Amino acid sequence: MPSFFNSWLPFIYLYGVGGLLFLSGMVIARKSGALNMQRKTHRYWYKVLIFGYFYFVFIHAFLTIAALYW
Amino acid sequence: MIVYFTVIMLFGTYFGRYNRSTKDFFFGGRRFAWWLIAFSIVATGVGSHSFVKYSAKGFEHGISSTMTYINDWFFVPFFMFGWLPIIVYTKIRSIPEYFEKRFSPSARFLATILLLFYMIGYIGIGFLTLGKAAMPMLPESFSLFGSVYPITLMGVIIIIAVITGIYITFGGQTAVIFTDLLQGFILLFAGLLLFFFGLDYLGGFGVFWDILPTEWKMPLARFNEPSDFNFVGIFWQDGIAGSIGFLFMNMGLVMRFMATKSVNEGRKAAAFNILFMLPISAIVVGNAGWVGKAISVIQPDVVPPNTSPDQIFVVVANIVSHPGVFGFIMAALTAALMSTVDTLINATAAIYINDVHRPVKKFIKAKLLSEKETDKRELSAARYSSIAITMLGVLSVLAFKSFPTVYEAHGYFHSTLTPPLVVAIFLGVFWRRFTPAAVISTFVGGVALMILGAFYPSVLIAPFDHGIQMDPSHPYSYIRAFYNLFVCMAIALMVTFTTSHQKSFIERLKAGDNHRQIMTIITTISVLIFISMLVVLNLTSAGWVIPVYMILVFVMSYIVSLSVTYYVKYDEKNNTEGLTAWSLTRAKEMFKGSKLNEREGEKAYVNWKLKEGEDDTVNLSRKALETMAADVGDLVYICDTRGYLGGLKSCHSVIGEPHEEDGIIYINEEHKQTGLFVEGRKLYAEKEM
Repeated sequence: MPSFFNSWLPFIYLYGVGGLLFLSGMVIARKSGALNMQRKTHRYWYKVLIFGYFYFVFIHAFLTIAALYW
Repeated sequence: MIVYFTVIMLFGTYFGRYNRSTKDFFFGGRRFAWWLIAFSIVATGVGSHSFVKYSAKGFEHGISSTMTYINDWFFVPFFMFGWLPIIVYTKIRSIPEYFEKRFSPSARFLATILLLFYMIGYIGIGFLTLGKAAMPMLPESFSLFGSVYPITLMGVIIIIAVITGIYITFGGQTAVIFTDLLQGFILLFAGLLLFFFGLDYLGGFGVFWDILPTEWKMPLARFNEPSDFNFVGIFWQDGIAGSIGFLFMNMGLVMRFMATKSVNEGRKAAAFNILFMLPISAIVVGNAGWVGKAISVIQPDVVPPNTSPDQIFVVVANIVSHPGVFGFIMAALTAALMSTVDTLINATAAIYINDVHRPVKKFIKAKLLSEKETDKRELSAARYSSIAITMLGVLSVLAFKSFPTVYEAHGYFHSTLTPPLVVAIFLGVFWRRFTPAAVISTFVGGVALMILGAFYPSVLIAPFDHGIQMDPSHPYSYIRAFYNLFVCMAIALMVTFTTSHQKSFIERLKAGDNHRQIMTIITTISVLIFISMLVVLNLTSAGWVIPVYMILVFVMSYIVSLSVTYYVKYDEKNNTEGLTAWSLTRAKEMFKGSKLNEREGEKAYVNWKLKEGEDDTVNLSRKALETMAADVGDLVYICDTRGYLGGLKSCHSVIGEPHEEDGIIYINEEHKQTGLFVEGRKLYAEKEM
């Protein structure tokens, strides 16, 4: 069984450091007006972007749990 | 395979008829639907991260070979709502052109050099992988007219380069998109078929899963070991530098997004590709390694555990599939690799035309030709440059041959060549305060610090290594990306935050009489520091070199920023308007040439009729304009209603004065030819903005 250091730490690092970069992208896109929440298509893309982040979190979490316990 | 290559070559050449200008040759006329681009990108992305490379890592380390395919989402907000709309609305034809508009011609010059290195190196990596993949399938020699010729790696690469060169030279971007579309489908099918056969051979998914040791099932690699494949190094090399490089500076990919009919279609293509196609591709390219590992555990006599990782794909394909299927899978493998190379060659030719050919013509004041004549000549130059670039790509293979695996060569290449451009593009797009002085200092100072790091990895890169052991033969192949990004960013921030000091210094200097001489001396000092560093690093490794040159590089970077502030004219308002994420509405207005109409309308379905004259507008009925919520002067996209063509028969225009004939659109001869509209076929018109 791999240790925490070699199982969950990469996951936390990936979505922690990557998540900070993702969050800064979302903040800049909204603050700059490039992502304009008044527009229907942009509201749709805002949801897609957030969905995408958690979609990949889910994939990696699922695969890690499957590897460790299944 | 010979049949396959012939079909692909003819297929690509057929689409050459869709090239009526350099715009068509490079960007496919900005006409395609998202799904067509999303699928054609698969072949490009998968090709560059080949079957060979990932099957090898899958065989050595298991399912964590997938991690580089599932770490690209972090930069998607920056791409969708920053870089993509900017490159489309500013109508730039190459990334260096953005540097000229946003910063200065000198910034464009340096960006062109760095980008050409990056692109040609990438082509070289592609050819090397191609050659390594093809070699195990070929005999050691062949005879012709009684003479025996040995088959060598370079010989194979040259032959494949010739084939690739032919269809790209005559086909252009439309050919690339359509051959990649075909090849994308083939390789996805072939990869999944191989996985299916592999699981069948092993006795089902349950057996396969139970055979693999836990370590091999983990989706992410071990945190910081071994040095040739660890999570944290690959995160910085691929997840950060590679992802930004992939989305922001891979001209081949950027051009593919620019070939979509609108920014929104480009977003759809990107989202679909990253969310769905990349995870599937990760399975497609790596599964032969996982299956190979499983077979090696239960039948070590069939797949010995010491099988060369680079050959595992071919070995597994041969074991689990029938001879005919094996040939098909090998053709798909070659298809994937060719797709990457053809895209890169087309993209590098675009950079050559836009950033070398045109500026040189302008500089030597070539005689003025009509727009059509110029375009014809440029199209011809684009084709010749494609040939030259293919040859340079083959030559650059020599630089990568010494690496033990293609994976490491690619990782080292990415870590080393992307950081300066990545930092420059990223800050240029998202930070209005980022100046020409800062970008040029980043290129010069960043590269200097990277070179220092390359000479002294155990001192300079070690603090960033997260505990990774340094391999003396190939020190910090991946984590060096972190160091390189850090030093480039440090120079960029230092120079940007001292902009007011640079300006006041130059103002005070200009108040004196001998400012020209002083600036010449200062600029010469910066050049001398750079050259002396290169000389000293090659002559000695004494302890004083690092501290002395660390200080000198920062001094040089600051001097460079002063020189740029002195020589380059820069107006923050003009040089950022429509060129950063903070002014996208303005970018759209500039693209359209008038005020935006963002009322939401629907498509209008119409029959087309030809009108006389060369007036570049189309005329729709009043009712159609109401349906589309469009006004005279709005931009319109006209397309054949057959959705499966993915926008191949379409064009862009401007809405002219309306008429009263409902269901009719009047187009001119140019629209008809550009869109290749068919007599009697219905079209739809859609307001763009």
